[in-house]
Amino acid sequence: MDTDNLQNIWKAYDKKLEESRILNLQSWALNMQCFEDLQKQKAKSKLNKLARFKLWTVALGIVWVLFLVFLVVKTLVFSNIIFVISVSMIAIITTIGIGLYIKQLILIKQIDNSDSVTIVQEKLATLQTSTLNIPRILFLQSPFYCTWWFKPEWFTSSNPAFWFISLPVALAFTFLAIWLYRNINYKNMDKKWFRILFNSPEWNWVLKAKDFINEIDVFKKDKV
Amino acid sequence: MNSEAEKKQFLQLIEDNKRIIFKISNSYCQNKNDREDLAQEIIYNLWKSGHSFNDEYKFSTWMYRIALNVAISFYRKEKRTAIRIPFDDVFDVADKSDENKEMDENIKQLQTFINELKELDKALMLLYLESKSYNEISEILGISETNVATKISRIKNNLKEKFTTKKN
Repeated sequence: MDTDNLQNIWKAYDKKLEESRILNLQSWALNMQCFEDLQKQKAKSKLNKLARFKLWTVALGIVWVLFLVFLVVKTLVFSNIIFVISVSMIAIITTIGIGLYIKQLILIKQIDNSDSVTIVQEKLATLQTSTLNIPRILFLQSPFYCTWWFKPEWFTSSNPAFWFISLPVALAFTFLAIWLYRNINYKNMDKKWFRILFNSPEWNWVLKAKDFINEIDVFKKDKV
Repeated sequence: MNSEAEKKQFLQLIEDNKRIIFKISNSYCQNKNDREDLAQEIIYNLWKSGHSFNDEYKFSTWMYRIALNVAISFYRKEKRTAIRIPFDDVFDVADKSDENKEMDENIKQLQTFINELKELDKALMLLYLESKSYNEISEILGISETNVATKISRIKNNLKEKFTTKKN
């Protein structure tokens, strides 16, 4: 088989496509009515499957933050200082998470498929990999879920439940949150703890995006 | 692009290019239903991106960019749950009554080898087989002409080896 003949084989394939009735038999061989239906169906399915889920996530996040702000405003006195600080921190970190999520949605909308293939695919894969930043930041709020019910006077008491259980648990979560913030990255994606934490098809896809970015880099290089 | 005349004009463009859309869908999707979905997705995106077409590039450059970007993105999503299906089911063009069995076999093999290529190499090879110039391929893919030439040569050599191995 001479590879110079590859284009001839491809032309023969073209001819066979023309001769066979497959193209006419495909349901996507369009007429006007079919095209109108396709437009409606695509617009509907896009809204249903993707946009609706993401919009709901953002909407729920915003409602949650508003509720937290309401709590802070209603309890803003010195005796509740730990509660106010904890809830405020949860609200701030959740807001940053929602902001990142919205930013991603906007960037996805802005991707123009008529740009060159490597540019578009690199942008898409980079966006997918940046999804990891969201749980990384959201983990930072976990210590504050352990502290919101603390009372300032406990720090001057000798309550053993506080000193030997509540406080160590809060400190452990603080250490864990900071550790996860620093370690959730692609250098660690092969580690066991990482695979347990991000073990779902959705995350696998995000993780594979990093490999794809490397593939694009290699593809763009002149040397092979 | 919403008037009836524009829609008709668009459908004519799709009609003129349906073989290309079919071949791209066929190369990126193993499953028959997925192939139809991908073809629809390409057509829908071509329509949606109508405003982005400008005279700076040829129509075919614009069309290939959109079709390949949609196909690669679709393939990467689909691959998560893709089930390998038998080769004969993938290749549904060959006419069993055709006398030219050798050419049929070559088409099948080429189709199989293309299916085995990585996403970007596959795009490159499809453009080469469609007889696009190196300049146009470099504009569609966003890599240099030298890179296009080097990569095509490498992939062709790989295909040659595979064809030889298969024959033996």
